[in-house]
Amino acid sequence: MKKNKSFGETLSKAWSQYSFIFVMVIVMVAYAFTIKSNGNIFKWSHIAAILGSQNTCIVGTMALGMALVIITGQIDLSIGSSLVLTTGVTIMVFNTTDSIPLMILAGLATGALCGAINGLLVGLAKMPPFVVTLGTMLIYRSLTLSVVRSIDPAISGSSSSQFAMNSKNSNYEFLRMKFGTGKLTLGSFSIPYITFVFVLMVVIFIILTEKTKYGKSVYAVGSNEKSARLAGISTTWVKISVFILTGLMVGVGSILQACKIGNVTPASSGVSYEMYAIAAVVLGGVSMAGGKGKIIGVIFGALSYTTINFIIVSIPALSVDIQDTFQGLVLIVVILVQTIGPVIKESFRRARKKRLAAK
Amino acid sequence: MSILEMSHVSKAFGGSKALSDIHFTVEEGEIHALLGENGAGKSTLMNILTGVIPADEGSITFLGKTYPNPSIAQMEAAGIAFVHQELNVINDLTVADNIFLCRELTNKLGLLRKKEQIQRARELFENLGVDIDPTVLVSELKTSEKQLLEICRALYADAKLLILDEPTTALSNNEIDHLFGILRKLKEQGKSFIFISHKMPEIFAIADRYTVLRNGEFVSTGKIADTNAHAVTSDMVGASYVDADVYESRELGDTVLELKNFSGTGFENVNLSARRGEILAFTGLAGCGASELMQTLFGVLPPLSGELSVNGKALHGSSVKFMKNGVGMLPANRKENSVVPDMSILENYYLAEHEISRNKPFINRGQELRRYESHKEMLHIKADDCENSIGSLSGGNQQKVFIARWLNIGADVLLFDNPTQGVDVGAKAEIYRLILEFAKEGKTILINTLEIPEIQKVADRCLVFYEGRIVKEFKHSEVNEHDVMLYSTNAI
Repeated sequence: MKKNKSFGETLSKAWSQYSFIFVMVIVMVAYAFTIKSNGNIFKWSHIAAILGSQNTCIVGTMALGMALVIITGQIDLSIGSSLVLTTGVTIMVFNTTDSIPLMILAGLATGALCGAINGLLVGLAKMPPFVVTLGTMLIYRSLTLSVVRSIDPAISGSSSSQFAMNSKNSNYEFLRMKFGTGKLTLGSFSIPYITFVFVLMVVIFIILTEKTKYGKSVYAVGSNEKSARLAGISTTWVKISVFILTGLMVGVGSILQACKIGNVTPASSGVSYEMYAIAAVVLGGVSMAGGKGKIIGVIFGALSYTTINFIIVSIPALSVDIQDTFQGLVLIVVILVQTIGPVIKESFRRARKKRLAAK
Repeated sequence: MSILEMSHVSKAFGGSKALSDIHFTVEEGEIHALLGENGAGKSTLMNILTGVIPADEGSITFLGKTYPNPSIAQMEAAGIAFVHQELNVINDLTVADNIFLCRELTNKLGLLRKKEQIQRARELFENLGVDIDPTVLVSELKTSEKQLLEICRALYADAKLLILDEPTTALSNNEIDHLFGILRKLKEQGKSFIFISHKMPEIFAIADRYTVLRNGEFVSTGKIADTNAHAVTSDMVGASYVDADVYESRELGDTVLELKNFSGTGFENVNLSARRGEILAFTGLAGCGASELMQTLFGVLPPLSGELSVNGKALHGSSVKFMKNGVGMLPANRKENSVVPDMSILENYYLAEHEISRNKPFINRGQELRRYESHKEMLHIKADDCENSIGSLSGGNQQKVFIARWLNIGADVLLFDNPTQGVDVGAKAEIYRLILEFAKEGKTILINTLEIPEIQKVADRCLVFYEGRIVKEFKHSEVNEHDVMLYSTNAI
C-alpha cells in the first residue's frame, strides 16, 4: 500500500470519518453570519449559550446512551418519556428530602430502571426494540401524567400539571442558582456548569467505547451478532446493558433538567427528545445499521442541532414553528451527501478511466 | 426419446475451468441421478441449464428446440423447474397462494378468484396423492410438505423436467418413501427428473440412469441397473492423488475430551474420547450432525443428554465457560460466523480473549500488540498494519487471524469446523502444517471436514457420521476416499 495520497483523497476520507465536524463548522459559520446581519457581533457568549442549552446538555447526554443502543443495531424511542418520568421522581425526592445525594441516586436509579425494563423485554423476551420502546414511550409519559394530576402539591411542588423544585428547600439556592444556571467565568470566557457534566459524560463514554473490553463487545454485536456470539460474547447481556446505560444517562439528564429548568411538565416536556437524540447520533456519524461510529461525533451532532435552533430564533422573519423543517432538512442533506458521495466519486473515477483509455 | 440434450458444454470462472466438454442427456419419463463430489460441477451445469449463468461453449436442446442463450424466464417457460435445496416458498402466504404466485387467477377488476384457486390447488393435490390443505399457511407445513408444495408448484406451471437438488436432506425415512411414491407416479405420466443427491441408497432406490462428473469433467453415464454403489463411488472419487505427506504419528497423552452417550440437536448417542496431542477428524455429508456436535462442544447449542467432560471436568453452559476451560472453536462459514466486518485485524483477534479476562476491564494496548505480534509471527499472518480492516486480508490470512484468536485464550482443545473453506491451496497447506504443529505441542484438535484428502493429511483417526450417528471409525492408515464415501453415504 502506498502512503502518498492526493489532497482530494485525504479530504474525502476526512469527510467520511469526521463529517460531523464539517457540518458543525458550516452551521457555526451560518450562525455567525445571521448574528452579523442582525447588526450584532458574534461573541463567545453566543457559543456559551449553545454549550449550556438544554438541547446540547440534556439531549446530548441522553444521545450518548442512544449512540450505544444504535451501535448495537437497536433503537430506543422511550427516552423523551423516561426523562419526564425520571425528572418527576428526581424532583419529588428533592422536595421531600432536601438531600442532594438522595436526589442524584433517585434520578440514576429510576432512569436505570426505565432502561432495564426496555432492555429485559428486548434481550430476554426477544421482542423488537422499536415496538418495546414505542410501548414504554407511551407508558412512561402517561404514568407521569396521571401521577402529577393526583399527587399532593406539597410533593410535586406545583400545580396539577407540573413537578417543580421546592424553592423553600435549603439546597434549592445551590442547585438552581449556583449549579443549574451558573457559569464558570475565566476572564472574558464563561462556561455553564452543566456543560461540564455533559463533557464529563462524553469523556466517560469515549473511554468506555474506545478503551474498555466492554466497549469493543458493543461494536462487535452491532457489526455481526453471530460472529460476536461465536467469539464468546454474551450478546444478550450486551443488548440489555446498552439500554440500562441509556437509562442512566436519562437519569443524569433528569438531574440537569431539574437543576437548569427547575420543573418538568409531563404533557409537554421532553417531547420528541428521542428523535433529536437519534438525529444527533446520526449527524455524529453513527451508522443506523450498527457497528460503526464514534462517540465524539455525538457532541458535534448535538451542538449542530442546538445551533440550528439558535439560527432560526435569531432570524426575525422565521417563526419557531419552522425549526423542525430546518433540522429535518439538515439531517437529510448530510445523510444524502454521505450516501451519494461515494457514488459520485465512483462515477468521476470511471469517467477518468475512460478518458485515459481513449488517449 | 431424450427430452434434454446438453453437449460440449464448457464454462470457466476467471482462469479456472468449472466445466469442460460435458455431455448430459435426460430421457422422457426417467429419473436421472446427477452425481459428483462437492465442486464437481453439478451446480454449475444446472445453473447453465436453467439460464442462471451462460455457458462459454456448447448447446442445449430441450424438447427439440435449441437454446443458444437461454434466460431464466425462457427456460421456465420451456418447462424446466428447479426445486432448490433451500426451499423457495413464502411462509406467510397460504398453500394455494404460493402455487398461484405470479400467475394468480383474477377477474375483470383484477381481484383474485380465491375460491377457484383453492379448488384448482385441491384438484392438483388429489391428482398427485398429496395430502395438503390448500388453505393453511405454508409456515404451518412440515419441511417435507413444503418440498412437495414446491414440486406441485412447478407441475402446475406445466414443467416437463424438474431438477431436484438434494430433496431428501431434511426428510425422515417415511417422508422420503412418500416423496418417492409421488415421483414414480409422475414419472409414469411422462415427467422427467434430474435428481441430485449424495445418498447412495436413495439413488439406487429411485433413479433409472446416472451421470457422474468429477472436477468439471464428464466421467461416466449409464443405467443404474447395470452398476453398483462401489463402482459409482469410484467414478465420483477417482484415483485421487494425495500430495506430499507431512503427517507423522505422535506420542499421545492423557484423555482430554470425553463424550458418553452424548446427544444434542442433530446428533445422538455419540461416544468418543480424544487424547492430548491427538487430531480427530469428523466427516459425513452436509447435515450429518458433525457440525452441530462441534457447536454443542462449544456451548453454542444446548446438549440434550449424556456426559461431556474436558480434562476430567464435566462442562455445560455458555461458550465463555468452555473458553475458560481451554476450548476454542473456529466455526464453519468464516464470513458469517467469524468475521466482525467493521473491526480491525487486531480487534478481531482480541475479542474472544476479552471475554475471559473481564476482571481487567481496560484494554492494555501494549500487551495486546505484543500478543498479536507473537501470534502473527507464529502463524505467518501476512498483514501490513493490524489497524487495517479484517476485510483487507485474504481468506487464508483471515482464517489464521481467527485461529490466533483461540491460541490467544490459551485453548488446548481446538474445534475446527471446515477450516479450509474458501481458502486457497497454499493457505490450506499452511493450515494443515499448523494443525500438525499444534498437535505436537500437545493440543487436542477436532476437525470437521467434507474433504477426505484433508483427513488423510492430518487426522490420527476419522469418525464418519451418518444422520447424526457415528457409523464408522478409521485409523489414519485406513482412511481412503472410497471407503469414507461408502460409509458417509450409507452405501454399506
